[in-house]
Amino acid sequence: MITFVVFSLRRAWQGFWRNALMSLAATLTMVLMLLLLAGFFVLQNVLLASLGFVEQKVEVVAYLQHNATQSQTDDLIVRLEAMPEVASVEYVSRDEALRRFREAQAAQGREDLTRYLEANPLYASVNVKLRSPADLRTVTDALQSETEPIVRNVLNIQALVDRVLTVTTFVRTAGVAMVAIVGVIVLFIIVNTIRLAVVARAEEIEIMRLVGASDAFIRWPFVFEGALVGLLGALIALGLLVAAADPLSQAMVGFFNVLPLQLGSLARDTAAIVLATGLGLGVLGSWVSVRTYLIR
Amino acid sequence: MTVAPPSTPPSLFDRLTGRGHEPRPDHPVVVLHDVTMRYPNGKEALKDVDLVVPEGDFVFLVGPSGAGKSTIMKLLIRDELATRGVVIVDGDDLARIGRRAVPRVRRKIGIVFQDFKLLPRKTVWENVAFALEVTGTPRSRIRPAVDRVLALVGLTAQAPQYPAQLSGGEQQRTAIARALVHDPRIIIADEPTGNLDPVISWELIQLLLRINELGVTILMATHDAEVVTALRKRVVALEDGRVIRDETGAGYHRED
Repeated sequence: MITFVVFSLRRAWQGFWRNALMSLAATLTMVLMLLLLAGFFVLQNVLLASLGFVEQKVEVVAYLQHNATQSQTDDLIVRLEAMPEVASVEYVSRDEALRRFREAQAAQGREDLTRYLEANPLYASVNVKLRSPADLRTVTDALQSETEPIVRNVLNIQALVDRVLTVTTFVRTAGVAMVAIVGVIVLFIIVNTIRLAVVARAEEIEIMRLVGASDAFIRWPFVFEGALVGLLGALIALGLLVAAADPLSQAMVGFFNVLPLQLGSLARDTAAIVLATGLGLGVLGSWVSVRTYLIR
Repeated sequence: MTVAPPSTPPSLFDRLTGRGHEPRPDHPVVVLHDVTMRYPNGKEALKDVDLVVPEGDFVFLVGPSGAGKSTIMKLLIRDELATRGVVIVDGDDLARIGRRAVPRVRRKIGIVFQDFKLLPRKTVWENVAFALEVTGTPRSRIRPAVDRVLALVGLTAQAPQYPAQLSGGEQQRTAIARALVHDPRIIIADEPTGNLDPVISWELIQLLLRINELGVTILMATHDAEVVTALRKRVVALEDGRVIRDETGAGYHRED
């Protein structure tokens, strides 16, 4: 057993270096493919985060009657918070609404016209954040004046939300499809490259068969060699990614800060995917390529 | 020293060092019974072939290209399975042994090809050692085995050289050394002199005869009429997948 493992590892190492050009080509292909895959994976995550960010912005705004009492309002908020579709509820008083209005006007450089008014014309409101924009109708329906007398009216943004949902659903599906397609391309190119490296050594395998080498002795050196190519490719790809990550995130720091994106876990996931894909495809590629030569 | 049981005859090296016994002519080392081989493309390469080779025999397989000589060799190393009939090598029915037992059977057979099939990037020594390495032989046993078999074929001095530095005859002797290093029961040689000039061919035949005298059964496919006729060994002639002649002490061509 030890003889076998030592033999396989030694042969894998020799095979890698004796066929340096082929191994280099395979490793380089591995690096490029893994970079492509990692790029699409990161892009997909940024995309998902962006979509989540957009969807977060969807909220139901219910304006309250001026005569709504504190206890009626509190009661409404408690009942809203109990709904499974609701993520959070914010109460905006009339004064707060006016303050925000003035702030918004000032931010846009407009003159504050409200100071000419004798009284605050704005309504108090409850702003309901949703777990999913798809639940907009359920929450809107629950807030109609017929069932909730203190509600004056609900801002109707159904049409807008429908459009947002159409776009985000499409982009999500397209993103998954893209990663899947890139994954399949990467799979085929890597497996094919490793197959070439194995075929280049067909004569050696043939001799091994003829002198009575068992399947394991033929297969495992190639599997280890494939793993070596995969591991080396993954490490180089990761090195390049790390080198590129810093300037890239510096340039996009403003963009990333807005997004609900966990950069730490994204980096970890990307590293795991690159390593697992490199190693996995290296092994898989060798395994299927060498199978042709084994005992029928 | 214990006496080896009949099922495990003494090794080549035991015989080389004079500790061995005579081969057992009553022990058929190759049996083909009623063998038909049809390839997936429909071609019938062998038809109802019967062949029994006792241990220690020297058999020439002759016949035109495509007569079935190579197919017999492929069946013996179980590269192919016979469509019908029984193929037995040293007591193993090749249709009945599992895939895992195939390497064990192949180690009882040494194969030599017309084109030598040496690895160009390994030395003579490494080429021979390769056969042992890939079958899991511990390194401590590889060195003496390779040295002895290289001495037997007369290539001790050429051990550190690469195949490209050798003559054709030396390359083929390297291949024979590799075939012998597993201490096989049988040597199968597929036109071993096909790429060699007549003088070198004779040297190679002399080497095979010596190996045969050590008790190794030899099955040699050849087109070399001069060699076959001169040696007067057993001749099995194939034509169109059938055995058309099986004579002991015969020539390359039918003589009656």
